[in-house]
Amino acid sequence: MAVHAVPSRSTRGQGSNVPVAVGLARLVVMGVGRPPHAERRGAAAVERIACSWCHYENEPGRTSCGTCGAPLDVANAVSESGWRAAPRLREMAEFRVGNVTCQIAGQVVPVAEFTLADGDTIYFEQHTLLWKERTVSLTGKNLKSAGRRTIAGMPHSVIEAGGPGRIAVTRDASGEVVVLPLHPGIETDVRGHAFLAASQNVGYDFIRIEKLASMLHGGPGMYLDRFVASDTQGLLLLHGYGNVFQRRLGVGEKILVEPGGFLYKDAPVTVSPVPVQAGAGFRHANWAELTGPGRVGIQSMYVHRHSS
Amino acid sequence: MSEHPGLETYVCPYCRLSSDPSSPACPNCGAPVSTRELRDDEGWVEQPPIRDMARIQFGRSQCQIAGTYVPVAEMSLAPGEQVYFSHHVLLWADPGTQLAARQMAKGWDRRKAGMPLVMMEATGPGRIAVSDDEPGELIAVPLEGGQAIEVAEHHFLMATSAVSYEWLHTRTWWALGKGSNRELFYPRGRYVDRFTAQQRGLLLLHANGNAFIRDLRDDERIYLTPRALLYKDPKVYMNIHMERPASPRAHWKLIPMIRLTGPGRVAIQSQYGFEAESHYGWDELGPDGSWRNWNPDPSRWRPVIKEREPLYP
Repeated sequence: MAVHAVPSRSTRGQGSNVPVAVGLARLVVMGVGRPPHAERRGAAAVERIACSWCHYENEPGRTSCGTCGAPLDVANAVSESGWRAAPRLREMAEFRVGNVTCQIAGQVVPVAEFTLADGDTIYFEQHTLLWKERTVSLTGKNLKSAGRRTIAGMPHSVIEAGGPGRIAVTRDASGEVVVLPLHPGIETDVRGHAFLAASQNVGYDFIRIEKLASMLHGGPGMYLDRFVASDTQGLLLLHGYGNVFQRRLGVGEKILVEPGGFLYKDAPVTVSPVPVQAGAGFRHANWAELTGPGRVGIQSMYVHRHSS
Repeated sequence: MSEHPGLETYVCPYCRLSSDPSSPACPNCGAPVSTRELRDDEGWVEQPPIRDMARIQFGRSQCQIAGTYVPVAEMSLAPGEQVYFSHHVLLWADPGTQLAARQMAKGWDRRKAGMPLVMMEATGPGRIAVSDDEPGELIAVPLEGGQAIEVAEHHFLMATSAVSYEWLHTRTWWALGKGSNRELFYPRGRYVDRFTAQQRGLLLLHANGNAFIRDLRDDERIYLTPRALLYKDPKVYMNIHMERPASPRAHWKLIPMIRLTGPGRVAIQSQYGFEAESHYGWDELGPDGSWRNWNPDPSRWRPVIKEREPLYP
């Protein structure tokens, strides 16, 4: 697993360069941005279908995105407020990033199954391993600042599985698998205990959010996992508890999110605590105020710390 | 799906019993007839969830499955017909249904294993409903006379009286210490429930999350996180297996797994309740236990780790 240094603040913000999601699941693109594996037939324009979730341009005839598995032939589920439901992957939907092939099975507690060629590697937390074939090798990797992560209740190590062979992981809870193909250099911050698996070229680090400790975990410190793909496109799988929704914030646009519902965000999106309006029973509760630009993901099933 | 189109018979791929292809669901196990088989590249077939309000016939009685998130099995018991279940899964019962305790043998063993000591027995006529309390799937396993199935503990929901219930030692364990300090660990529980049909009967199980089944070929092996096992054919051999991930540091814990060897059918669940435990070594593995060390340089292990000679084939 490649662990990369977190780029400086000034280099962030590339997430906003990703095209803004369109309102239709199918977008026909004429002849530009051809995917590498698309067969070129002379100079004729080829219709391709852009995935509304990851924006990958798929060859005609596909019913699910080859990079994130999202269905291409269903209407977009975007609420009037702008929240887009994460694509409910079809049973046995298969997609591929680099040499790693992934298949999602199950609807209640979904399972991600990987087919690894010789030399291919993915990594995940140990407890998410469901089954594996004999030939899949396992390597333990310790993460940086393991002590601080342990104190924060976060995993301090991951397991790297190497091909050839097949292996399956699951997060052991009801919800959805969120597939996030990572473009090179784009940083994605994820709440703790939501990471399911990532391809080898995705760097795994963490950042500390000041003043949000009591909001998000109620513990002495709060960390967000930070994932960034190196020079090639990477694959990141998250587990969202319940249903997952995503919204793209414009520059300076703000949204208040219940801290337990926060799932992921682009690195340019800032997080700051905002007190809930004073009143009986609220004590010192805070909202997480997220400020764009960038994507924000939330989950619908969480434990509210004041009602739990 | 029809095995003999001319005779218009339908063999359900999930319970393997013949039934009427014109019905929307298999009357023996409730699996939808019109659903295409969801088989992944690895050979696992997803057990299709029983559709809401699907009916399953057993004897003169009937079972109807309601709900899709935490499914409920509602039984309409014919006069004199009996089912038994653990009391904590009972959801409701008609006042006319006779409920009685059913004593189980080897009470001390069951208590040690954390299993219920007493089962509840319901006799018709009347209606009762049972349900587990976890999101998941209800799996109906019709058993022909003489057929048996081994179920991981805490997944049994209900069985008809024609199905006998016994429990066997899993033999998947490892031991630490010797003499009076010897401590045994059972990653998949101490016992596995074996259900054997004296005549045709019905067994209901609850899987947490989604359930997947796979038919292992002769001598085919699969390595599984222990708590994910749901049920298996008695012919499928199960033993303890340990894996040590390769690491430049020697403090990596062992990963306990179970090795399943075909032939036969195995079923797993996708929500298995992982329990974090520290496993650094063992003094003894259960029968035919195996292990694999992915470390290229075993000499860098900590000397306190106790392991036997490699048994991995």
